[in-house]
Amino acid sequence: MSAIDHDEEAVVIIGSGAGGGTLAYELTARGIPVVVLEAGPHITNAEYVNDEWAAFSQMAWLDPRTTSGSWRIARDFPNLPAWIVKAVGGSTTHWSGATPRFLAHEFQARSTYGGIDGANLLDWPITLAELAPYYDRAEIAMGSTHRHGRAALPANNNYKVFANGAARVGYNFYATGPYATNAEPYDGRPASVQDGFNFQGDKSGAKWSTLVREIPRAEATGHLDLRPLSQAVQITHDRTGRADAVLYLDAAGGMHRQRARIVCVAGNSIETPRLLLLSASSLFPDGLANSSGQVGRNYMRHTTGSVYAQFPDPVHSYRGETMAGIIADEARHDERRGFAGGYYLETLSLGPAFLAAFADPGSWGRDFTSILDGYAHTAGLWIVGEDMPQETNRITLNGSVTDAAGLPVANVNFDDHPNDVAMRDHGYRQAELLYDAVGSISAHRTPPYPSTHNLGTSRMSARPEDGVVNKFGRAHDVPNLFVSDGSVFTTGAAANPTLTIVALAIRQADHIAEQLANRSL
Amino acid sequence: MTFLETSEAPSGFLDSPQARALLVRVIRVAFPHAQLPDTAYEKTADALIALAEKTPRHFLALSSGLASLDTLPAGAFLDLNAMDATARLRAIEQTEFFGFVRANTVLTLYNLPEVWQALGYEGASFDKGGYLHRGFNDLDWLPEPRIEEYTGELRYVEIGPLTRQVGAATPATPAAASAAPESASGRDEVTK
Ligand SMILES: Cc1cc2nc3c(=O)[nH]c(=O)nc-3n(C[C@H](O)[C@H](O)[C@H](O)COP(=O)(O)OP(=O)(O)OC[C@H]3O[C@@H](n4cnc5c(N)ncnc54)[C@H](O)[C@@H]3O)c2cc1C
Repeated sequence: MSAIDHDEEAVVIIGSGAGGGTLAYELTARGIPVVVLEAGPHITNAEYVNDEWAAFSQMAWLDPRTTSGSWRIARDFPNLPAWIVKAVGGSTTHWSGATPRFLAHEFQARSTYGGIDGANLLDWPITLAELAPYYDRAEIAMGSTHRHGRAALPANNNYKVFANGAARVGYNFYATGPYATNAEPYDGRPASVQDGFNFQGDKSGAKWSTLVREIPRAEATGHLDLRPLSQAVQITHDRTGRADAVLYLDAAGGMHRQRARIVCVAGNSIETPRLLLLSASSLFPDGLANSSGQVGRNYMRHTTGSVYAQFPDPVHSYRGETMAGIIADEARHDERRGFAGGYYLETLSLGPAFLAAFADPGSWGRDFTSILDGYAHTAGLWIVGEDMPQETNRITLNGSVTDAAGLPVANVNFDDHPNDVAMRDHGYRQAELLYDAVGSISAHRTPPYPSTHNLGTSRMSARPEDGVVNKFGRAHDVPNLFVSDGSVFTTGAAANPTLTIVALAIRQADHIAEQLANRSL
Repeated sequence: MTFLETSEAPSGFLDSPQARALLVRVIRVAFPHAQLPDTAYEKTADALIALAEKTPRHFLALSSGLASLDTLPAGAFLDLNAMDATARLRAIEQTEFFGFVRANTVLTLYNLPEVWQALGYEGASFDKGGYLHRGFNDLDWLPEPRIEEYTGELRYVEIGPLTRQVGAATPATPAAASAAPESASGRDEVTK
């Protein structure tokens, strides 16, 4: 591992998750020296624990955040709007692994769906055809099953119920993937042992994360200076408006300054806009890269919900890969269903501790305990679909609540759009029909969990007035500032976002390397 | 917390067998499970008392909540049957006392290994080699499903309705109700 001098003008990447970790590897592999600032500690697979609350406390971002708006999260989990990991590898350590691609029209949401009241829809400045080669590279890097020769994962118990139900209601486009966990040894990592712990960090290494793949490979190049427990608190700029350094705090609260030639922000879609807003200056009074006023706006979290159904016979859905089951028939855009955009259905299983906490927050009594009583006979799935970007769904700095360093925390304001509600209701009904078709005796609708998919708060746009970054993720206002995570999503699409975040980061790395080579950066 | 020494110091009540018995009963009535051992409810009560004793806010809520349960007109809480006891708790579910008990029971009770066992959850598995050879796919009351992606003759529809009828969910809005799924024109889905 190389130590880069604080006065050396380096490429500085903030965050080591899906976006930041990928970018770090792709740049160092080309011989470009990179400093990665990661707010969390460097915890490795052997230290992970097969225990829901213990694992959550070990790695989740638990620094204060606040919420507002009419979403139920603001009532049930006012200080936990999102489930994001604060550790080397970011949320790819706790993710499950579903990797569908966007559909072509999802890059043209405004043109395809038309104007929708209250929705700030915009077409992406790129197309599926432009991203396709990077999707290939991302799938190969992540080892997505069903792609590029990777074997399918076997059917686990939860999938058996899910897939049989799907077939009986007339769905066809279901499978155990694409899913970025090895069914067979691949890329130096073993095959899944179906231990059932995905959201807690995978001890075996069968699951892709930047912790097991990109970070160690970047270190092996000798060009990476990884600094864990280093939280960026401000990006500074020179008199011409170019970013010139990143100020960050170490674990003891000591302030450091790393000079920068290029700054890439990949703190996930709540911390990324927070950092840009914290970097306001006389030249950029509304926050860095915010001449459009769109920094922090259009926050998306996908339209989600779960259904847990009970059966006369045992299911033991917690055994095996949590989300290795995807139905794609409802991902289409079909206005006859009463909403724009589409959704996937994906298998999901929680342990009793998390099921109790999230199944119906605030409830108690027999209705509640019957959900847990049938635990071993329960199958579960998750609805994940496109939600509408809205300008008022927004990350702002909360002036009255501060973190340990005294900095304003992020407030997450969110209201469901009527389109989101119609889609969720449709998904609930389809899920109930699916389980009914295989003999369920009850089905429980669970509201959205704290957001695991956080998107859109620094969106890509062709025109500077519509968004924050251009089609390569470069800030419209600051020539050497990039955003490298899911914040750049112009719209959310139905697909789980990580494959697309990784594909965009690989593409951005190509772009940065090229610009450095011809000295235009 | 420390309490000044007066004969009426409240510190004693929460540690009394009476308070514990009341709390165990409250938790059992609010979270009834026939299959759980008594120890699960007792451990949860003990954990909640220990937690409450850390901060005056929770201490006050828990002690006064428990102590006042018997002052309601229906009589001694411990003598009520489950139905009446549930109704009593419904009446106070918005109180700080009940909110504290509910939220922390959810976090504590369902995190006890003996509760996992009673519910049929096996807990940590990596050290045992995962479930690869321990039943991850032992469900035998349904046929083995396909695991590969669909390769039949239907084309995947990205925009527009499906030609086949799917599970016939009730349409999401009145507007959509006029377009019944079976009247779909199928402009995108064709057979090869
Ligand atoms: C339980 C769970 C299941 C999921 N399952 C799936 C799935 O099946 N499929 C899918 O596509 N997606 C899934 N996701 C979502 C996926 O994890 C995220 O989309 C992805 O990791 C986001 O990448 P990112 O680079 O934007 O942020 P992250 O991966 O979250 O990385 C951000 C990193 O930046 C660090 N950071 C933030 N602020 C600062 C700062 N100021 N200074 C320094 N460092 C900072 C954070 O500590 C963190 O490590 C899941 C997420 C969770 C929590």
